[in-house]
Amino acid sequence: MNAAPFSIRIVAGKRPIVSIDDFYVAWDGITFLFGESGIGKSMICKALYGLLDPDELDVTMGGAAYRMFLDSPASRDIRQNSFFVFQEPSSHLDPLSRIDGQLREGSLKGAGNEEEVLNQLWQGSDLTKIQRILKLYPKPYRPSGGEKQRLLLAMAFKKIEAFQQAAPQGAPTFFVFDEPTGSLDNAYRNRFLDMLFTHYRRRQFTAVVITHDYSIISEVRRRYADLTPRIHYRELERTGDATVRLDDFSPDDYLNWLSGARGAAARAESDDRVLTVEPSFSVFGRKHTLFRDAGRTTPAPLVIRRGEMAYVKAPSGVGKTTLAKMVMGLYPADAAAMELCGMKLSNKTPGRVWPDRIWGKRAAMVFQHADESLNLESTVRQCFMGLPLKRTLDDAALRQVLSEVFDGDLPGAFLSKRVKYLSGGQKQRLNLLRSLTLNTDLLILDEPLNGLDFRSVTKVISILEQRRRAGAALLMISHNEEIFDAVVGPQSVYYLN
Amino acid sequence: MKTGTRFGPAKDTRWLAAWIGVTLLLVLWDARYLNKPAFDRVITGFVNTFTIAFLVIAFTLALGWLTANALHRLESRGRRAAAMTLTFLLNLLRSVPQVVGILFGYVGVSALHDAGVLTGPLTIFPLLALCMSLFIFTELADLMRERISHFTQSDFYSAMRVCGIPEGRIVNVDILWKNSRVHIFNKLISVFGMAVFLQCSVDFIISVGLSTDVNEVSLPATLGNLLAKIDSKQDILAIGYSLFHPSYIGNLFFRHLQGLTVAFLIVFTLLCVYNIANGFAERHKL
Repeated sequence: MNAAPFSIRIVAGKRPIVSIDDFYVAWDGITFLFGESGIGKSMICKALYGLLDPDELDVTMGGAAYRMFLDSPASRDIRQNSFFVFQEPSSHLDPLSRIDGQLREGSLKGAGNEEEVLNQLWQGSDLTKIQRILKLYPKPYRPSGGEKQRLLLAMAFKKIEAFQQAAPQGAPTFFVFDEPTGSLDNAYRNRFLDMLFTHYRRRQFTAVVITHDYSIISEVRRRYADLTPRIHYRELERTGDATVRLDDFSPDDYLNWLSGARGAAARAESDDRVLTVEPSFSVFGRKHTLFRDAGRTTPAPLVIRRGEMAYVKAPSGVGKTTLAKMVMGLYPADAAAMELCGMKLSNKTPGRVWPDRIWGKRAAMVFQHADESLNLESTVRQCFMGLPLKRTLDDAALRQVLSEVFDGDLPGAFLSKRVKYLSGGQKQRLNLLRSLTLNTDLLILDEPLNGLDFRSVTKVISILEQRRRAGAALLMISHNEEIFDAVVGPQSVYYLN
Repeated sequence: MKTGTRFGPAKDTRWLAAWIGVTLLLVLWDARYLNKPAFDRVITGFVNTFTIAFLVIAFTLALGWLTANALHRLESRGRRAAAMTLTFLLNLLRSVPQVVGILFGYVGVSALHDAGVLTGPLTIFPLLALCMSLFIFTELADLMRERISHFTQSDFYSAMRVCGIPEGRIVNVDILWKNSRVHIFNKLISVFGMAVFLQCSVDFIISVGLSTDVNEVSLPATLGNLLAKIDSKQDILAIGYSLFHPSYIGNLFFRHLQGLTVAFLIVFTLLCVYNIANGFAERHKL
């Protein structure tokens, strides 16, 4: 592997999964690889790392059979000196083996300073807490997603330290971090970046960080500017059904866009309240409180007016989605008081009120995971069938709707394509469009930027801004604080406990 | 492309082809060597049996779908008393052994026929099929309810509902049609096998005289009651005879064709249906 571009083609049966002519990785540099979800970032990196099974997939690398690549000395050296942090931490850990055993398994045995690495990743937490986690057998719910992710990062950093201590000069490396901060809040994300660059300064290695989190750019620019020549930003761009191209991604594009968005921070354009939620509510026996201040000192009702975009912030698992589902009547509240478009709603309101008077008429919601919120067996066209619209969407009208977030002329076959064959980013765009088509008074969006590339992010934010200007009330739930802090004015930010 | 193995067509396709091929060969052989009246009886029995079995599939599908929809609607609208009553009635139906239930159904059909209410296959066949479906459809209704219940836990059900998409459309189009039709079709293949088996069993029981109210004259000829006829029984007995007199084996294929054909058609059809259902399930990873 070197900086010279080469081709990779991956085919499953007769279905091409991804094909790229000019993929390259900066040798001894750190590459941040962006691109919409499902475009093939992980697959290409797995192919390069030598993780694909040639019996399952038909893979060619630089025009040669994959087995030749796997058997080459360079490929073997890479695997010996490197580590691959998988996107889904649960699938990386063996549920039948204790975590401490897995941290010291195979080439990780005796590698690096484990205690130091763990301490850094846990930001100096109580040692006994880390020890308790190490004695666990991984279960779906324990350790938590964030803890599992940090354990995988600990393995990778142990391997980096082993390489730095023992590998001969010139030994090839390829550390892949696939969505390493997906389950981490910003403080832990920054800790990861700090460890990555600190290790990199000690001795250089090749690393690829696959991510959708564009706010990483600001953090890297702010704190590691001296390493700029060694840091690369690339983006995979779709050019055909399964063909992609690797482009340089300009961090300035993102930073300039962000600064422009900051200037246009949303303000309510009327006093007409669409949604009011009293500050204290309880769902599934758990009490929640809404605040206007980050210090969470004074409870305040959530009020969204026509033409206002509000943003609810809270760490993972606190109950942001629960709040959204309670407002939409999907979770019955134990105690709550709300007003939606003049209708008083509480825990005593009969469940039929929502389907009869609210869903699709006054309010709609975009769910977090497009993969789960769309019927994968439906076609693109069928995703819009059954919506309570004033007129039926014929193909021409549907193309018009899709053109809001899909580039170029969509082929007729696209409307008949099954959702399961779309990339994650395409699914997310469909997921958003289905609700946006409804033009309801209130639109709740749970992680609307999940899996989108930068161009789609800017388009979606622009559409939301248009809807806001047209008088819609929008409630945002997102981990992408940097973007929504810029898009939503501070007067419309709420904190949930 | 979904195929069962890398060496040829899928198991279900192979067994379907085997059933069609062997049955056609049998028809050709019988047309050549079985006497005309017996050949006509076998063909009539075969057509009647399969017509009723296909009608059973249609009724089972309709009853299962209606029941699953009704229960889901009652439960989702919070009408617990009505849902419990319907569940109780279904459990009551389930508690009746299928053969016994169908036997009583046949008694009723026969009585209506004797009273002159039912005349001809156009009225008798659907009623016989309905009797059988009543004791089979609960299995399909359970499957549909499981599928509905599974998908109502998923986000896509809630995500579609909050967009104002009618619940009936989500349940029937998105859950039952888009995501469950393969499961339902697989169950219907089994229902076909059950219909053939139960029909032949009940017809046989009736025809050998366990019921005094129903007789083979009042009900259409099927493979079951053909098997119970004295000449078929003699044909079957000939198989035992040939075991001890091997030189007689050749006669089985020329002189005992009616009984052998009927018995073979029943057994071979059930074997094929079993393998088709299994192969279909394997092919679609059910």
